[in-house]
Amino acid sequence: MGKNSLYKLFFAFMMIMLLCGCWDIKDINKRTIPLVLGISKTKGGEYKITLQIPVLKNERQVSKVVTGTGETITSALGKIRTNSENAVDYTQIRLIVVQNHLAHNQKEFTNIVKFLMGSEEIPSRSLIAITDENVEDVLSSINDKLGVHASSIYDFFNKGADWAPEVFSTPVWEVYRSLFSSTKDIAVPLIRSGKNTVLIFEGSDILRKGEIMDRLKPEEIQLIRVLQNKNEKGKIESLGFASIMVSNSSIRLKPSLINNKPSLSSDLNIKINVLERNDGVTNKKIMEELERIIEERFFQILRRMQESHTDIFGFGQEFQQLISYNELKNWRDEYYPDLKVNFEVKVNME
Amino acid sequence: MRNKIVNEIESKFSNQGDFFIEEELINKTTIFLIGFKTLVDLTKSKLYVQQIANSNTSVKALFINLNDEINVDTEQMIKGILEGNLVIVSEDGKQNAVVNPIVQNLRSSISEPKNESPIQSSTDAFGDDINTNIGMIRKRLTTASLCHCNYEVGDLEKRKLSMLYIKGRTPKSLIDKVDRQLKGIQTDIDTIDDLNLQFGKRRLSPVSHLFATELPISAIHSLKENKIVFFLDNCPFALVFPNLLWDMLVSIDDRNFPSILSFMLRFFRVIGLVATLILPALYVALVSVNPEVFKLDLALFVAKSREGIPLTAFLETIAMVVLVDLILEAIVRLPKSVGPAITMVGGIILGQAMVEAKLVSNLLVIVITAVVIASSSVIGMQNSLYIRLLKYPILILASLFGILGVCIGFIFTIIYLASLTSYDIPYMTFRIKKEGEIK
Repeated sequence: MGKNSLYKLFFAFMMIMLLCGCWDIKDINKRTIPLVLGISKTKGGEYKITLQIPVLKNERQVSKVVTGTGETITSALGKIRTNSENAVDYTQIRLIVVQNHLAHNQKEFTNIVKFLMGSEEIPSRSLIAITDENVEDVLSSINDKLGVHASSIYDFFNKGADWAPEVFSTPVWEVYRSLFSSTKDIAVPLIRSGKNTVLIFEGSDILRKGEIMDRLKPEEIQLIRVLQNKNEKGKIESLGFASIMVSNSSIRLKPSLINNKPSLSSDLNIKINVLERNDGVTNKKIMEELERIIEERFFQILRRMQESHTDIFGFGQEFQQLISYNELKNWRDEYYPDLKVNFEVKVNME
Repeated sequence: MRNKIVNEIESKFSNQGDFFIEEELINKTTIFLIGFKTLVDLTKSKLYVQQIANSNTSVKALFINLNDEINVDTEQMIKGILEGNLVIVSEDGKQNAVVNPIVQNLRSSISEPKNESPIQSSTDAFGDDINTNIGMIRKRLTTASLCHCNYEVGDLEKRKLSMLYIKGRTPKSLIDKVDRQLKGIQTDIDTIDDLNLQFGKRRLSPVSHLFATELPISAIHSLKENKIVFFLDNCPFALVFPNLLWDMLVSIDDRNFPSILSFMLRFFRVIGLVATLILPALYVALVSVNPEVFKLDLALFVAKSREGIPLTAFLETIAMVVLVDLILEAIVRLPKSVGPAITMVGGIILGQAMVEAKLVSNLLVIVITAVVIASSSVIGMQNSLYIRLLKYPILILASLFGILGVCIGFIFTIIYLASLTSYDIPYMTFRIKKEGEIK
């Protein structure tokens, strides 16, 4: 190695030192790491940002709630950053709670989702939820509960399918995608603060292009997940005379287009375990009753959805090969209301 | 009366205290026994010469019977004396012989290896004597194709160097190149690195051309793997050429176990190698540059464990890594009686006091411990040392660029190692082609 190249190497190394920006690096303990971001609007029309920040030093208090207001979300976030003791690092935000009065305004909600998606710091995989309560109350309620820790709110949504199949988590990017989708709409979970537990799951709001169309109960949400072919294990259903647990489910959809009228045949196979039953109740009765209940529930939801032109099941996805792309843009208004679904449930005992 | 040759030799060694010239009367003629007292057991050698003289009638016959190296010139006699032989010169100086004498025992016997600890394997290790070492190889590898070339290299002293290879296996071109190189050595070969530098300039490289092993089994395995083995006089190692990355991970002893177990052992060595290189760097990158990569619970745990620590992650890590490397070096230097004390003090200071004083975080102590253990899992002391060195550049890059720096540092380390060759044999090759084997 010549003397010259050694100088070059040294020069390159000095450049690394000068250009890397390493003086801006903050250690993890010098950062404030908010976990939940709440968005609401004050009466004066300003955005109000609420952050739930875990407290690491204090044993009694698990988290603190910080608020900031501003004309835009960015300015509110910036204000919190200015007034914070440490550098605020938004990259660990896992849940975004939007208050209902913002969520029910299509334009506002669309803007919020677009902002969250465009923001480099806030991860797009963070979950989104809507609350009817005051956002601040939801976030601060965590300190009153016994035995919870800072990440409890996030853990609520990550119990895993087998443990609580109704709880539905929707990341920001899926909501953003649904803004542009013409064949599939999305459900956003609805939460409020609980009495003894941190959160209570109230169901889901159904969004069509950022507009809330309907509200579904937890057991109805269950069915949507089944139809989206997400395996639903562990769901417990009470039939009055018996209660069963779904141990496995699978669905097969077959679309067809006759005279420009869409129709879909769908076979749902469910495997169940009987957990308890009254005396004299036969297996056959349980199966028939369950089939009846599910079919009834499905057609009820479908009717409601077709009335509001909202394709929450994503049936339009099945017709992508049958209807041209330009035509498919009008799926919700032209085809979907006429959709005939031949829904059959087959229940098996394990 | 002393003749000319004897006088000449005497003047050459006039300032050597242990030099002797003994006169001996055999068959009414005087002969001179010349040598070093420190190298030749004089009393026994004298007895030996007399015994042979008794069964021979003339001095001439005695010389012939003593040794086949007779009537050599003065220069060779001097060399013989220096090598520890007994030189016998007749009264008139016309006849002489260089005799292999009964030697003073200056060598330790074959012992167990000091730097390696083989499991389920022969525990003989190479010693200082080059002939013993080669004998150990010959004893274990009884084939006529084992070739042995002798060299005497050096400027101030002529040091014995032996090259062993298996004919028909080691590529001829490689042997020729090495042979030419060894014959051209002008400088003294004092250390293994002196020999290493002969095979190509690698002054700034931590990776040697030679892999030193103490175990005859591993040397024989290398020979069978088409490599060359060197022996240097007074060096208790077989020096395997070329040194390959694979040698760091694979030992022949592994194969004494069932293959699934040997696979496991090798897999753990790979983990150890990678962990040593990137674990400290990963700690710095995750803690200070890219905490967003952490899972949520882990991020909170790390933040909590670092609460109140005044040093930045990089300073903390580099301080600990240097301290640990210092301890490792100190333990090697210390006499065996003091070693445990330092280990204990080091353990307490590093493990407990620094954490309790909140100078470094708990997590870092775990990381450092893992690295120290991992770095020792590879085979060969020099390999362990050089991977300990290579972790520093990655650590610095990680402190500047985070995860990206770790990746770049790791990739560049691999690129660097892949660029190394010894006589066109890449360092990262798995095996050397047999002579005549087509690619």
